Amino acid sequence: MIRDEISVSTQTPRWRCIGSGADSKRLHYGRFALSPLRKGQASTIGIAMRRALLGEIEGTCITHAKLEKVTHEYSAIIGIEESVHDILINLKEIVLRSDPYGTREASICIVGPRNVTAQDIILPPSVRIIDATQHIASLTKSITFDIRLWIEKDRGYRIQSPKNYQDGIFPIDAVFMPVRNANYSIHSYGNGNDIQEILFLEIWTNGSLAPREALYRASRNLIDLFIPFLRAEEQNIDGMDNQNGSNMPSFSFSNISADMERMEEEVAFKHIFIDQSELPPRVYNCLGRVNIHTLSDLLNYSQEDLMRIGHFGKKSVEQVSEVLQKHFAVDLPKNKFQIH
Amino acid sequence: MLLDENKGTSTIPEFGKIQFEGFCRFIDQGLIEELQNFPKIEDTDQEIESQLFGNKYELAEPLIKERNAVYQSLTYSSELYVPARLIQRNSRKIQKQTVLIGNLPLMNSQGTFVVNGISRIVVNQILRSPGIYYSSEPDQSGITLYTSTIISDWGGRSKLEIDGKTRIWARVSKKRKISIPILLSAMGSNLGEILDNVCYPKIFLSLLTERQEQKEYLRSKKNAILEFYKKLYCVSGDLVFSESLCKELRKKFLQQRCELGKIGRRNPNQKLNLDIPENEIFSLPQDVLAAVDYSIRVKFGMGTLDDMDHLKNRRIRSVADLLQNQFGLALGRLENAVRRTIRRATKRKCLPTPNNLVTSTPLTTTFQDFFGSHPLSQFLDQTNPLTEIVHRRKLSYLGPGGLTGRTASSRIRDIHPSHYGRICPIETSEGMNAGLVASLAIRARIGHCGSLQSPFHKISERSEEEHMVYLSSGEDEYYRIATGNYLALNQGIREEQVTPARYRQEFLAIAWEQIHFRSIFPFQYFSVGVSLIPFLEHNDANRALMGSNMQRQAVPLFQPEKCIVGTGLEGQAAPDSGSAAIATQGGRITYIDAGKITSSVDGDTVGTELVTYQRSNNNTCMHQKPRVRRGEYVKKGQILADGAATVGGELSLGKNILVAHMPWEGYNFEDAILISERLVYEDIYTSFHIERYGIVTCMTSQGPERITKEIPHLDAHLLRHLDGNGLVMLGSWVETGDVLVGKLTPQPAEESLRAPEGRLLQAIFGIQVSSARESCLRVPIGGRGRVIDVRWIHKEENFGDNAEVVHVYIFQKRKIQVGDKVAGRLGNKGIISKILPRQDMPYLQDGTSVDMVLNPLGVLSRMNVGQIFECLPGLAGNLMNRHYRITPFDERYEREASRKPVFPELYGASEQTANPWVFEPNHPGKNRLIDGRTGDTLEQPVTTGKAYMPKLIHQVDDKIHARSSGPYALVTQQPLRGKSKRGGQRVGEMEVWALEGFGVAYILQEMLTLKSDHIGARHEVLGAIITGGPIPRPGTAPESFRLLVRELRSLAPELDHAIIYENDFQIDRKEV
Repeated sequence: MIRDEISVSTQTPRWRCIGSGADSKRLHYGRFALSPLRKGQASTIGIAMRRALLGEIEGTCITHAKLEKVTHEYSAIIGIEESVHDILINLKEIVLRSDPYGTREASICIVGPRNVTAQDIILPPSVRIIDATQHIASLTKSITFDIRLWIEKDRGYRIQSPKNYQDGIFPIDAVFMPVRNANYSIHSYGNGNDIQEILFLEIWTNGSLAPREALYRASRNLIDLFIPFLRAEEQNIDGMDNQNGSNMPSFSFSNISADMERMEEEVAFKHIFIDQSELPPRVYNCLGRVNIHTLSDLLNYSQEDLMRIGHFGKKSVEQVSEVLQKHFAVDLPKNKFQIH
Repeated sequence: MLLDENKGTSTIPEFGKIQFEGFCRFIDQGLIEELQNFPKIEDTDQEIESQLFGNKYELAEPLIKERNAVYQSLTYSSELYVPARLIQRNSRKIQKQTVLIGNLPLMNSQGTFVVNGISRIVVNQILRSPGIYYSSEPDQSGITLYTSTIISDWGGRSKLEIDGKTRIWARVSKKRKISIPILLSAMGSNLGEILDNVCYPKIFLSLLTERQEQKEYLRSKKNAILEFYKKLYCVSGDLVFSESLCKELRKKFLQQRCELGKIGRRNPNQKLNLDIPENEIFSLPQDVLAAVDYSIRVKFGMGTLDDMDHLKNRRIRSVADLLQNQFGLALGRLENAVRRTIRRATKRKCLPTPNNLVTSTPLTTTFQDFFGSHPLSQFLDQTNPLTEIVHRRKLSYLGPGGLTGRTASSRIRDIHPSHYGRICPIETSEGMNAGLVASLAIRARIGHCGSLQSPFHKISERSEEEHMVYLSSGEDEYYRIATGNYLALNQGIREEQVTPARYRQEFLAIAWEQIHFRSIFPFQYFSVGVSLIPFLEHNDANRALMGSNMQRQAVPLFQPEKCIVGTGLEGQAAPDSGSAAIATQGGRITYIDAGKITSSVDGDTVGTELVTYQRSNNNTCMHQKPRVRRGEYVKKGQILADGAATVGGELSLGKNILVAHMPWEGYNFEDAILISERLVYEDIYTSFHIERYGIVTCMTSQGPERITKEIPHLDAHLLRHLDGNGLVMLGSWVETGDVLVGKLTPQPAEESLRAPEGRLLQAIFGIQVSSARESCLRVPIGGRGRVIDVRWIHKEENFGDNAEVVHVYIFQKRKIQVGDKVAGRLGNKGIISKILPRQDMPYLQDGTSVDMVLNPLGVLSRMNVGQIFECLPGLAGNLMNRHYRITPFDERYEREASRKPVFPELYGASEQTANPWVFEPNHPGKNRLIDGRTGDTLEQPVTTGKAYMPKLIHQVDDKIHARSSGPYALVTQQPLRGKSKRGGQRVGEMEVWALEGFGVAYILQEMLTLKSDHIGARHEVLGAIITGGPIPRPGTAPESFRLLVRELRSLAPELDHAIIYENDFQIDRKEV
């Protein structure tokens, strides 16, 4: 059975971009095909991708705004055509693109009379505006228009209650969904038992993300969702591998992804010191003696390796792996073989 | 009739016209009429004479602007000045002065009045016209009685009856009746006159000969009056004729029952062929005689009976008449007051001036009372602009002199053929007042004497030219009126065509050449609300009624949207409602901001103040957004700013929503509605609500109440929003329980002494515990939002107290949520049952998720097929960016003109946008949808399209309510009903069974022990709650529990009490 799989998988599915375009700066379109797929696979991937595209992709939005000398958002400022609330709604619509996580600050400081558009936003370096013509407000008098903005990256949408904000800070309901619409269709070809399928994916984004990028992100997010299964199975299968003594190429893909995952994690883990975790001081001292300070240091060791450290018994190893599992959802490999 | 020769086309009259015209009639005619009726007043010695010159009255410019009146809770009124003259004969002095008669509330440009800061409206009333009416009804024995009813101007009525033996009676009360000759002679005619003027003297003579004594009464008027009086008041014994008796009779009977008024005079003149001058407003003996004559004729089958429900027998009492009545009343009071002052002045021998004679209080208070408490002066329904329009055009059968909801028969409530083109056959309220509160048809107007008129095109034989004629309800019955739905298809051979037409309350098919009139306009017969419903002709009338009513309940949404499929009347409804700001003069726009638009007109600057986030009477938000640009030239009448629920000058109450008619996991069972999360986060159904909370400071016996920040014994957290004066700060976000206005009510010191802690404190420290009780204004349960306005109003009361009122305005932004009500325009309504993420919703073949899933079963039994027709062009229009305006019942040039373009448009859209799925020939109008959760294509194609759905004012936030304990009704000891009274639901016997059956152990334990008749346990619980300790478990079982056990035992199960230990599963039995 495994042999069969190998023979089919020689014809690995490939994706192509069939068409792409942009109706406007805020409406990008892309059409992709994935083929060949075995019967039924297209549907599996298609619905999963559609749902991931619509629900799992992160976007950047303005989440708060601070206006000076405004008592509440339902007031009008002399010299501005829009009420404060309308300005906030216009800010909600602005499409942004940013790379890192965390809250960023931006601001607008303009003297009227003129139209304020998205290009007047003074942005932090990592954030970019997609459509500079997006309207924010029209100043009809020579007044200064001063707003501070907070930009965040998240997924889904966030409806905020103004309950905990004061001093002219107004929360803006944020919609972090860069994918406007996604669709898939399946075409099958071939005859008899040898039916193969092509999956077409259509993606419309709001411009902060190219459709292609959205596809990439969606697949990444989907893979991330499957990783817990991969881990659990990897261990079992690796155990099986050792028994069989053979390495299977069909798992190369998962290994690659796990590698990428691992690389990313390593970067993050370098900055986490193990003394932050709730290990007993004895364990900490032992680890310190062999220069294990950060989490990434620790992850270089397998459970067997740890046992070799002086005064480090089975119980301590258990404690360490328990803490790792609890706080970081990482397992220590049992033996050195698993670490590449 | 040629297509290019439609000269007769005319614009639809303004929707608020009926109100303005009424008010203008009052100002122009009614006022003068009443003022001229004001008598010259002389004192007893005829030395002083005062007189008003009503035709030269003046109305002063209102002291405050309308907007300020609303803001300061005042009345928008103007002072009425009338020149007066006072002649003092003995000193030969003539004084002329202009006196202030009082304040007259003015109608504003929206057809409403602002009284005490609240918009109010005076609804037009439909009454029976005064006059004489004939009807027949069987009596107890089954013999038909012919009666003629004389309805007076006051609403009183007297009846003349002919019984089976052709005796004629006048019924004076429910039980008493008197013979006609007595009535006639009491009214002042003698036998000779009677017999001369009667067509059937024989019958009269037989009446007289039947009972001898009647002749005696006829001989003298006095006897007749005495007999009449006796019968009327059932006084027996001997009465002596006196002048006062005669006067009383006249006042009680003749005036109330027989005063016909000007309008009423017409009717008998016409019906009985009389020739009595119009200013004779009382019924005369001739009338009665003629009426009796006619009754006899009716009895012998020669006259016609009247249809009481016919509109020609009804009249409209408009604002003009109501205000005129009130004004007359006020002048009567003024007259008395003037007489009193003159009397007093003559007694004291001082010289009054016209100014001291006339006071303004009678008029001002009369109008204040009228607007405050008259049933026809109503609180303006302001949910959305349409609601306002419809309210202005309401016609009510209720009110003084009218019917009551409980007693009105179903015949009166029914539609009558004479309503055609005058009163809408569809729009009326549901429930108790069904059919009693009607709506004026679009083109109808009020003619002379309060009749309703409808316009028609007159088709003259000679020329092809047409002109418009207004016909009253009686008049059009004798003409053949083509419905106008079906005009000439082929102009050349029009004469051969047969058209549906109305003739004498029947629908007939008549050849064109015999037609006198045709109706002007396909939806001439409907009211404003109904004519906003597209595909009305494909709808059941009951659902159309609900649709028109529900449009009035639509909440203005935060980002309104024009409907894709409409009827074309939207463009008129919005500007006429007064919600949009309209340029009063043409000019160039010079400045715009959120609160003001200024334009320069020939060098002058004209400013238009915009309404920003103001509260309406129904707590919705009124807000105007500028729609013009700086530097633009505007014309007079152009829209400057869109108000609530208007876009570009078109009424837009809802949103175009992608709906699918399919079941979805039972979440749309029984009219429930499933929606996509998109409607939440994209603010599609987000509306604004402004709630007003108010508090009054009064004078108490202990001194005035104070508004202050220093409230003792109150958590500082609750007071955090108060400023130094004790008022809530603008812009603060408040939640349930927060104090909005801090108020202290002084309390007598002794009372606080009685409180134990107060006594203790005084005993120890000798200090007085605060002698004030807090009576703060707090945010009620369920309320939250942003404080946008605090108004502190000082009111001068009558007695010199300075009452202060504080109003706090709290702004809420409400997104749609489970439990809110949404509806279509065609009566398809439902409650949101679930909000799904967009990826879970079924989706179209291009990937677009459906926004709303409706139940297809909701269409069949309700027969509102219009919603299906509506959503298909909606989809096409959405794809092609087109808007459709489809006139209902418009079959003038084509059969089924509204239905025909539905599929072609869809086909066109599919061709034009290269979306083959939009129109699939196998199942046109339906699409193959895909389930968003599984990716499976749904089994059946589904009707999908864009429907226009408003969100209604019935929202969970206003309705949700829970109570654990609260007030009980005194008599029944059951919980009160309703949210406002913190009501609840009685947990009765059956509910307890449900709990017992379900086995909710803790609740049952509580109910059977602590909450039942276990007195000891209840005391212990009280103590435990006060001390804050744990609630003790009662040691013994209460009687109610014992009862339960006995009841169970009587069913014969073995009842044991067993404790099973976990460890050893040893059962430890114990007798209960």
